Amino acid sequence: MYEEKITSIIEDPAQEFDIVVRITREEDIAVARQMAKQLAQEIGFSLADVTRIATAVSELARNIYRYARQGRIMIRKRLEDRDSPGIEVIAADRGPGIPDIELVLTRGYTTWERSLGIGLSGVKRLMDSFAIHSEVGKGTVVITEKRRRAF
Amino acid sequence: MMSFEDRVVPIMQVDGYLLVPIQIDLDDRTVGRLQQQLLKEIERTRARAVILDVRMVEVIDSYISYTLSETAAMARLMGCRTVLCGIQPPVALTLAQMGVTLQEVAVARNLEHALVLAGSFQERDKGV
Repeated sequence: MYEEKITSIIEDPAQEFDIVVRITREEDIAVARQMAKQLAQEIGFSLADVTRIATAVSELARNIYRYARQGRIMIRKRLEDRDSPGIEVIAADRGPGIPDIELVLTRGYTTWERSLGIGLSGVKRLMDSFAIHSEVGKGTVVITEKRRRAF
Repeated sequence: MMSFEDRVVPIMQVDGYLLVPIQIDLDDRTVGRLQQQLLKEIERTRARAVILDVRMVEVIDSYISYTLSETAAMARLMGCRTVLCGIQPPVALTLAQMGVTLQEVAVARNLEHALVLAGSFQERDKGV
């Protein structure tokens, strides 16, 4: 399932993203966060939601850097529904994968020494939808979305 | 004295306190360097409290929170308290929603309140 996901996301030219940030260095975490913030502002999200989205992207980018060393953050506007446009954030890597997804979504669980263990569970709380596909030895894809609330 | 490159924020010493306005994006490297700078300044000045003003900080994620708490715990071991002030509403909302708690850090409404808090620690430490 992971293979299918990552192939369709990374290799299919039909998948157009507004922003693709390659995460290879620590500094790229802040770059991804800044880019996400800008796009969220363009879509017209409230300041609270812009902050939520930027924070979620920060957590996802850091996970890539920490566990997989490299990967991508891909972001696109979702404008099909004109009343409530949204933003989709995909974090993909070909890192070690996650053996127990339930466990990593448990608040406070972490395999990293200097960490609160709030990263992924935090992303899930901050965004509207959250899906994770992972396979040990192959990698991890997190797909998450936030809709702009109708005014 | 610290070299110029080691300094990430201006630190003002006022009456035994260190006032630290954070006006830069806290990426992972910066937050690590901030920690180093604060600890060195606490040692050098023997400050009683550090007041971190985060009014200009737009994103505080779990790692930044962790590092701030860790820095405060280290400062505490050096006899110095840490007060955070000026958390923006969207940042407060995001931290609360993620379930982040800042340990070893006192939180103040604004700079004035931060100074009052820092003063109250001093009295408590004296046993008044």
